[in-house]
Amino acid sequence: MNTLQRQSVGRKFTAVSWLPPRAGSAYTDTELYFVTGLGGQNKELALWTTANPDFESEPKAAPALTSDSNLATLVSKAAHDGDVQDIGIVSPDILATASSYGTIAIYDVQHHDTAHSSSSGLKLRESVTAHRFANGEPAVSTALSVQPVNSLDVEIASCGEDGRIAYVPLSRIDALQVYEVDSTVVTGVCWPTPAQVAVSTRAGQIKLFDRRKPAEASAVLVDPSTSHSFECIAAHPSQSFRLAAGTDAGNIVVWDIRNTKKPESEIVSVHTSNVWKVRYHPTDSSKIVSCSYDATVAFTQWARDMTTSERDIVRWSNFFNVLSVGCFDVCPFTRTNLLVAGSDSGNLLMVKSPATDFRLF
Amino acid sequence: MPRKRTDKFVICRDTEAVTYLEPGLFPAGRQSEWTEQNRTLTFSIHPLSNQVAIAVAGKQPSESLAQKVPVYEQDQVVHICGLAGVPDNRLPFVNDTHAVFRTLQKIMETSGEERVAVGVDSLLRMSALYREAMLRQIRVLQEASDVTEFIAGEVDTFHSMHAVWHLLEIIYLTTNLPGLSTSIVPHFMEWLNLNFPAPLAEDGQRILANADLALNTELWPYMRKLALRGHVSVLANMLERVGQELSASAARWARDVAKIARNMPLGSSEETAGSFNARWRRWNEELQNAATAISSLLPSDDVALEPLSTVVDIMRGDADAISAEGESWQDILGALLLYSEPTSQADRLPSLAGIVVEQFQAAEFSVLDRALVALLSYELPEFLVFCNQIDPWLSAHMADLMDHISILDVCRAAFAVDPREHYLLALGEMYVGHENLWRVGLDYFGLGGVARCVMAEYAMRIPLESDAKARQVLGVCREFGLAMAVDRIHRQLGRQQWRRGRLGAAIAHFAEVSDRVSIGLICDQLWDQYLESGVLAYGPVIDSVLAAGLSHDRLQFLTRYRDFHESYKAQQFVDAGGMLLSILVSEIAPPHAVADLLVDAIPLLEGDVLVFSADQTLVLMRYAEALQQSPFPTRGSSRLGAVDEGELNIFNVACARNLARSFLV
Repeated sequence: MNTLQRQSVGRKFTAVSWLPPRAGSAYTDTELYFVTGLGGQNKELALWTTANPDFESEPKAAPALTSDSNLATLVSKAAHDGDVQDIGIVSPDILATASSYGTIAIYDVQHHDTAHSSSSGLKLRESVTAHRFANGEPAVSTALSVQPVNSLDVEIASCGEDGRIAYVPLSRIDALQVYEVDSTVVTGVCWPTPAQVAVSTRAGQIKLFDRRKPAEASAVLVDPSTSHSFECIAAHPSQSFRLAAGTDAGNIVVWDIRNTKKPESEIVSVHTSNVWKVRYHPTDSSKIVSCSYDATVAFTQWARDMTTSERDIVRWSNFFNVLSVGCFDVCPFTRTNLLVAGSDSGNLLMVKSPATDFRLF
Repeated sequence: MPRKRTDKFVICRDTEAVTYLEPGLFPAGRQSEWTEQNRTLTFSIHPLSNQVAIAVAGKQPSESLAQKVPVYEQDQVVHICGLAGVPDNRLPFVNDTHAVFRTLQKIMETSGEERVAVGVDSLLRMSALYREAMLRQIRVLQEASDVTEFIAGEVDTFHSMHAVWHLLEIIYLTTNLPGLSTSIVPHFMEWLNLNFPAPLAEDGQRILANADLALNTELWPYMRKLALRGHVSVLANMLERVGQELSASAARWARDVAKIARNMPLGSSEETAGSFNARWRRWNEELQNAATAISSLLPSDDVALEPLSTVVDIMRGDADAISAEGESWQDILGALLLYSEPTSQADRLPSLAGIVVEQFQAAEFSVLDRALVALLSYELPEFLVFCNQIDPWLSAHMADLMDHISILDVCRAAFAVDPREHYLLALGEMYVGHENLWRVGLDYFGLGGVARCVMAEYAMRIPLESDAKARQVLGVCREFGLAMAVDRIHRQLGRQQWRRGRLGAAIAHFAEVSDRVSIGLICDQLWDQYLESGVLAYGPVIDSVLAAGLSHDRLQFLTRYRDFHESYKAQQFVDAGGMLLSILVSEIAPPHAVADLLVDAIPLLEGDVLVFSADQTLVLMRYAEALQQSPFPTRGSSRLGAVDEGELNIFNVACARNLARSFLV
């Protein structure tokens, strides 16, 4: 088990996401920015900055067990209505959040550059309630995902405990469309293609939707060998037929949905408890990164190597982090393998490891 | 008969502390006037945290009063008062020590019966981690930009906690390490210099920098402090430096004393006690000789000789000189140990501490002093009580550690309740109401006995804001075997989902606790929705539930009824008929739905294809007959549900025609 670097913050982290560098500004990528969502007692959105490890001259010695290093510096904070359940980055200046009060909020990342200094801040632009139960109570929005298209007029898909998907157009968030898609909780959502949405449900199903016919599922996938419920879902960055989902028993199910009538799936046992979030590694998509209730972060080699039958799973944890690691994000802009994660123990956790050799699949 | 001890320390759970609201809810000193106007205070305690809601209320309802009472705006406010909580800047400390606590419990669990095998080693490692967390917290607090009174208080508390913890560590863990010299003296001196301000090197520099060194009033008190704290090499350096500025004879003696001080014997684990004692005696004799020689010169005009003689007296272990010079009992105890009993072991501490403490006014002792003295005198029950006064965190973790080093049994006899369980419970109660720390709080509960019951009660009250959190709470309850709490939480969630119209989720929760009655009621609701709307929309709801492998009569009925409709729609009339008949025969349908089922059979009976054989038709007719004769309308006012008498007559005619057809075929 490898040791995560940690910074004790004393806040409950619920979501984290790296901000892409801003092109054509004084922003140099020697400094990287990321946004964290805080829940529990302090419901806030916080902007942090950290040094880009690619520019570090000497790789530092491994930190001692008890060290509490200063990994990142808090730049700015903004109040958030409810626990931040998920953060979606639209552009270097715009991000969307899903809240436990069922709202989708759009925040502006503001940069003020002067000759001598630059400061950044977060500002709420607008928000809309997307998830409600039939009796009017707000429902927790469990996750959101930004449509992967290269234009500013994108749609944000969010899912919630009311079993619905909401499609929120960024340009007019009031014109959102809501569709009931499941009778249980919809736990995760992702866009394999700009016209297709996949969701994971508490009842152990993956449902695919065509954005042009959003009311009914184009396919429902069930892994017959497992009855566990899914906690999250992620799409492969380039191969749209590959999906990964995390279960409440600590497994990751890797799907190949080229044939939706007969999808292929494979279960990898990675964690011992609920997998809160999975993601394909943005720069090495042969790996799936996941975080879990068992307080670990894992890098799983999902694509089988011809030479070995064993899967390569690298797990990271920290002695002082015993509670659930609820969120993480891998930085796609660095050569170094840079991951930031947050936990219920109030720790900001980080993995900085040299990039692995590129592998072709 | 077991010897009965008096319960010296019955812990009073409700300390009678008076808390004043600032500002008060009514003007000070005008209470009687205030109450005469039909006013009183009402309050409600938060089920989870230490919060109370207080509001002004009428003694009698205003409707029952003859005259109208004026309403004041300030009486319309509900005040939420927090009694004690976890301050924000303590959260990192709480989380870090929780991690150590969990690891410690795991170590002890895995060792099981072979407690000895764990060794003092790993306990010492954990203890050091606790102390590091305290020191880290002190550092963080001191780095805070604005040092308020509150932060200064917290720093003091953490200093006290560290002093207490460190002392227990050296007495019970450090000097118990196998294979090491077990003299406590060097460890005690280390403890003393770390936890109580030692003579600072900067002070020495400042004093030495003064022009007229020999006449400096700060010089000799500083030297005496150095001697008391056993900083002999620094003392020797100072003496040599000072000697250059003194008169010839004083300078000579200063140099001699410096030389002797440098030669102070240090014990090591390789040396035998006998050889060390011999060396010590020789060193002590040298000091004695020097002391005699210097005192023979007294009284003298040389101002340096007298203080020099005091320094020598301290170093030769003269109890009177040490007592006279030591400012605090810790200093005196340390100097006595160092200079007169350098090979003492931990068991010498109680008697020595007793002698030293007698010289002080116990009434002036702070809580920290009392805790330390109690620990030194092996008064462990008293020690725990003082620890609790310093901080509840300290008493809880201290009691836990003491249990692991098997010294808590003494306290168990003196307390009315198990002290470890009690203090951990109190700490858990403090945390569980905090939004970020509920999970940490539950960990401190999970000890068995009374704590389990309390834990179950608290677990049921943790607010379940989201589905994920509900599942986490349920997971913890299962982990600790709190069956009752699991049951109650599922029922609560089931009702919540039902209210929200999430019938599938509601059924799933009720299924977890086998609440068949509620599941039946929800199924009836689904059936009623179908009858009202005429649209078979419950498919996804029951599919998700059935996927989880639940079996219930009503659910089966709903599924098979849907299958019947699907077959009918696909024009597989024979299959559909068989399905309908099997629903009736297996009697899974609720009585009020039978009439609807029979009416559903009419199109099949009247269809072009012969669906029901003679026997099957007779079965259908028998059900119709039973329905018409049934004396007890089960739901609503009619036994026929949504069906009226006329439809049933059509059914009877259809049956008769079908019967006739079936005979012909």
